[in-house]
Amino acid sequence: MSRKQLDMTLLGLAGLLSFGLPLVISSPTYLQILILLFFYAYVTTAWNLVGGFAGVLPLGHSVFVGIGAYSSTILTLQYGVSPWIGMIVGGLLASGVGVLIGRPTLRMRGAYFALCTIAFAEGVRVMIENIDTLGPFKLNGPRGLLIPLKGDSFWNYQFMHKGPYYYIILIMLVLVLTLTWFISKSKIGYYLAAGGDEPEAAEALGVNVAKYKLMAMALSCFLTALAGTFYAQLMLYFYPKGLMGLDLSFEIAFIALIGGRGMIAGPLVGALALRPLNEFTRIYLGDQLPGLHLVIFGLILILVMLYQPKGLTPPLARLYGRLANRITGSDKSGHRTSSLKTTGQEGAQ
Amino acid sequence: MNILEISGVTKHFGGLTAISDVDLHIAKGEILGLIGPNGAGKSTMFNCVAGVFPPSAGAIRFKGESIAGKKPWDLSRLGLARTFQIVKPFASKTVLYNVMVGAFLRTGSARKAREKANEVLTTLQLDHRKDQLSGNLTIADRKRLEIAKALATDPELLLLDEVMAGLRPTEVDEMIAIIKRLRDGGVTVFVIEHIMRAVMALSDRVAVIHFGQKIAEGKPEDVTRVENVIKAYLGSDYGAA
Repeated sequence: MSRKQLDMTLLGLAGLLSFGLPLVISSPTYLQILILLFFYAYVTTAWNLVGGFAGVLPLGHSVFVGIGAYSSTILTLQYGVSPWIGMIVGGLLASGVGVLIGRPTLRMRGAYFALCTIAFAEGVRVMIENIDTLGPFKLNGPRGLLIPLKGDSFWNYQFMHKGPYYYIILIMLVLVLTLTWFISKSKIGYYLAAGGDEPEAAEALGVNVAKYKLMAMALSCFLTALAGTFYAQLMLYFYPKGLMGLDLSFEIAFIALIGGRGMIAGPLVGALALRPLNEFTRIYLGDQLPGLHLVIFGLILILVMLYQPKGLTPPLARLYGRLANRITGSDKSGHRTSSLKTTGQEGAQ
Repeated sequence: MNILEISGVTKHFGGLTAISDVDLHIAKGEILGLIGPNGAGKSTMFNCVAGVFPPSAGAIRFKGESIAGKKPWDLSRLGLARTFQIVKPFASKTVLYNVMVGAFLRTGSARKAREKANEVLTTLQLDHRKDQLSGNLTIADRKRLEIAKALATDPELLLLDEVMAGLRPTEVDEMIAIIKRLRDGGVTVFVIEHIMRAVMALSDRVAVIHFGQKIAEGKPEDVTRVENVIKAYLGSDYGAA
């Protein structure tokens, strides 16, 4: 078996396994944990377009999850529009908002951009908590919005079992991973990475750095908002603090940094590493100290940054590369560039 | 035909006049050397030409067209490329990746960009390093990478900012040969350099600036005989040597 065949086989197995899991797992609790794992991997992958490829550190992506959830839910509740359509509207709205705040802030470097995004996200959350209506739209302040049960209905994006949600978020995740893979291999990916590394040098090579960062921001915000609609339909209830608090923004950044920022598999590896931990601490320690999981995340982040500053993906990829070469018996030199994407997928097993 | 015409260019930074009323021109296919003491305004001149910032006064015309208000990315599309005195590789990426960023200017296809990048790396004898991370290169290879990136954009005019600083004498000779080959391949070269041996060997003409003003211009061997140039830059030992 050649290395490429091995990669493809394992990738296929991982795909088969992830699509087959709901047939084996019937407990809604475990399915919910997996759904949230994929949800975080998805949101972080969308974040990675800006936070990883474009080399800035957005810490307010929860606001785009919020925009997605509120847009589709308000359209459903007040105008009877299917959440599937509301999802696209929310995505476009988030995209527009992302471009509006990205335009002045994306040229800032380092902590300044991060601070601006935090301030914006928190500002919007506090605003929503303090107003009941925005023009004709009912936001319901801090009480949030409740989506009435309509029974199993694809059109209404509501399912009585976790299975359909599982498949929806899994497909969304596979699509967004494929999209980032294509982008990273294309001109846009090269330009984003170059502009993130050395903006001046990139501009001298013909890259309009600001334009490409803005494009990445628009796409990232659009994709993030789709996850907001998913979350709303999964929970059928959300309120500003729970939906779009800083917890979510920080957790996205934690997952990306621990998994490997700017790598395609990074968010997936990070989510696989952190989400089970999050659920565990929430189940067993949540009563004693809410927010303890963030403290633990911080600790892990410090350790990872100390010993693996590029995240967990590169050492895992090297490990996989070595194992794969032993299995296929091929020489090391020919296969030094191991496929990061494949390694990430294997973690799913 | 002059590919670049600089007329009456002045640049102030606050109260400081970095360059003052400088005229320069480069004919197509020529190599022009710009020399002068540290702080004379050489890099400022490059930055004005490359669109990093606009001159405070005066006009710069590239291929007969004014570049006023044009940004660096517009200019590279028009065929003007530059290197940086302090090299700026995309350090976390491989050499090939670095050069492909430049090559993407003329194509949208990754395959074509890779072909172009490989071709440029071969020209610069850097192809054996193409899979290395650019952050791990030696200074000589980094300087070559700077040129490779610029060259991958298919420029008509190449601005080289001290690409030989820090190189060993044999590396300087290799670099001189490379630049001459580029010119023979049809690229006009505007070079800032401190290593006089290289400037003398390369340039068709040399311009000298001092405190932001042009004090001499002409053939290399004539310029080095001008008294002002010797006083301001070369030192009295140079003429004797």
